[in-house]
Amino acid sequence: MNILEIKNVTKKFGDFIAVDNMSLTVAEGEIFGFLGTNGAGKSTTINMIAGLLRANAGEIKILGKNISKHSHFAKKNIGIVPQDIAIYEDLTAYENVKFFAGLYGLRGSQLHERVEEALKFVGLSDKHKSYPKGFSGGMKRRLNIACAIAHRPKLIIMDEPTVGIDPQSRNYILNSVKKLNEMGCTIIYTSHYMEEVEEICSRIAIIDHGKIIAEGTKEQLKAIITNTKDVWIEIKPMETIDLNKIQSISGVKAVQMEENLIKVSSDISVNNLNTIIQCLINDKVEIRSLKEQSPNLETVFLTLTGRSLRDH
Amino acid sequence: MQDVMWLVRHTLKKTFSNKKNILLYFGTPLIGIIISLFVYSGSNEKNVHIGVVNNDPHYITNDTIHFIKGLEHLSVTNIKKSEIDDQITSGKLDCVLVFHQGFSKSVEQGRPGHLQIVSIHGAEITGFVKSYLYHYINNISALGKIANGDERTFWQMYERYQQSPFRTSVHPLKDTSKNIGMTYQTIGYLLMIMLFSAGSLAEMIVREKENRTYFRLLSAPINGNKYILSNIIVNMIVMTGQIMITLVMMDQVFHIKTNIAFWQMAAILMLFSLVAIGIAFITVAFANSSASAGAMQNLIVVPTCMLSGCFWPADIMPTFVQKIANFLPQRWALDALLKLQQGHSFGSLYLNLLIILAFALIFFLVSAYKFGRNNNVNNFV
Ligand SMILES: Nc1ncnc2c1ncn2[C@@H]1O[C@H](COP(=O)(O)OP(=O)(O)OP(=O)(O)O)[C@@H](O)[C@H]1O
Ligand SMILES: [Mg+2]
Repeated sequence: MNILEIKNVTKKFGDFIAVDNMSLTVAEGEIFGFLGTNGAGKSTTINMIAGLLRANAGEIKILGKNISKHSHFAKKNIGIVPQDIAIYEDLTAYENVKFFAGLYGLRGSQLHERVEEALKFVGLSDKHKSYPKGFSGGMKRRLNIACAIAHRPKLIIMDEPTVGIDPQSRNYILNSVKKLNEMGCTIIYTSHYMEEVEEICSRIAIIDHGKIIAEGTKEQLKAIITNTKDVWIEIKPMETIDLNKIQSISGVKAVQMEENLIKVSSDISVNNLNTIIQCLINDKVEIRSLKEQSPNLETVFLTLTGRSLRDH
Repeated sequence: MQDVMWLVRHTLKKTFSNKKNILLYFGTPLIGIIISLFVYSGSNEKNVHIGVVNNDPHYITNDTIHFIKGLEHLSVTNIKKSEIDDQITSGKLDCVLVFHQGFSKSVEQGRPGHLQIVSIHGAEITGFVKSYLYHYINNISALGKIANGDERTFWQMYERYQQSPFRTSVHPLKDTSKNIGMTYQTIGYLLMIMLFSAGSLAEMIVREKENRTYFRLLSAPINGNKYILSNIIVNMIVMTGQIMITLVMMDQVFHIKTNIAFWQMAAILMLFSLVAIGIAFITVAFANSSASAGAMQNLIVVPTCMLSGCFWPADIMPTFVQKIANFLPQRWALDALLKLQQGHSFGSLYLNLLIILAFALIFFLVSAYKFGRNNNVNNFV
């Protein structure tokens, strides 16, 4: 059964089209990745699923039921982890989770158990009497998640749950996502971090300018670019180079700079390595090493959108 | 409704777990009482001079006049009908009671009439005389109704009534003018506190949007209307508390005699609390941050309270200010209280009550309209 169906959904803010005729289905039991650059329309889509924004056109169904007609049903089955942390600073961790879980009708000892369970799940059991004021960014993110799962929703939507946190908290969160999935939850996971999505998601949609430009399993997505080869060129740090020059070399599909690493994706049938190196030498760039790389999701994204996933 | 109550409990707990807020919401109304005690301490009381014209010599009339004489701070002189105009215009008398022939008969029959009150002062003088006098007469005419024309029965009951100890309950008239001033001052101040309280409670809506918890609330099975309703309920609970504390403290601790029945006073103030919520919602609907909502409330509350006479009697202000005050809800609430003190019946105040209600309604409609528009452009995300 499809837990989520989005059919031809469009959302406009004034004249600006944030989500453009999008269609998408997520089956029960998946961890579905939502990849896109800043402003691609991920949060807007999520807000529509959560019933916070109304679509201008199209239809969204949760477990086969239209969310505008069955909003209560839809909301009960969804847990949203918002991109911006939404907790009360003047309530303890326990009180925060308890309050939000109570909105779903839980009361008494059942409520208490679920709250403890959720806090334990995100590793905040020992902090349940503490106020979030003193929490680290990672702890706040984890509390933000606990508030969304205590009512045991079937579908959990996480909007960039790992933004700006320490690696330890991030690993904790990624493991919890896997565990939640094993327990039977379907998860929609939004991120800027390709490695995360590649690690945990069973299926991925790449979204750009409000449109889904590719969708499938990691393998399916990578297959889109079997005609691509990647070369990583390590150069002397702090060098400035003109990427446009490389971009204009015949056969080059995408080029990207990450610290002192130039990543060039080219058509597999074109032999342009000489030209690329020549170009760098002409610019007096010092080359340290050269490596052929098998394509990853980053390459897929780059080739499809012409832009790096993370522009910050 | 259960989810609304969950929100109400949450908001109350969150607000009052901070002990400072308890003091802020329930301590400040008492400051009004303290201020009024200072303002009116030692102010000397004025005697009211009353003339009596007795054209109906009968034991009922005589007892009635005797009753008036027994009230404190009233000096009563017998005069002739022809002297009325002279005495009143010269200011020697504040008011004259004329008992026309047939007065005692009408009372005995249970349909009191043939009584006239002449005064050039406003109701602030005659009001008290009237309210006590009517109370007395009504009691006796009630006996008349029970006796149903049987003169002997009436007389027996009348005798007993005259001797009954609870007749002495007229004594509270003592200190009235001082008490009236203190009541006015306290309630005027309370209105301002209510406006501010409603303002800061409603401000939570904006703050909730600012810290994004509103997002989470609405993604739970709660809609915006229920959330607003919960805020209204919290407002009502807090303001009811403030009203009760003020009224009980006035009565039990400070012994200020308001001269108004407790429930009537409470009813008018409760009605006004709707206005306070309405005003608060307007500031919240038009403000785009909690800081600007707060600033807007300061700009609205203090000046309107001054204009409408919350801090001093309206009639000491220039007439054009008084006219402006007619467009302010506080004026109508205070006016209703003054009228009640002067002995008007609660039912006769329907105009005041309707106007206060209309203010509340208009404020609610305007803010609802604005809230609706805000949500259309999705400002909350
Ligand atoms: N309430 C709004 N009013 C006007 N424009 C909006 C509103 N919300 C979002 N947008 C615009 O819609 C586009 C999509 O925004 P959205 O938040 O969905 O992007 P996103 O994919 O979540 O990006 P990010 O990775 O930065 O979170 C952006 O260009 C944004 O400026
Ligand atoms: Mg986003």
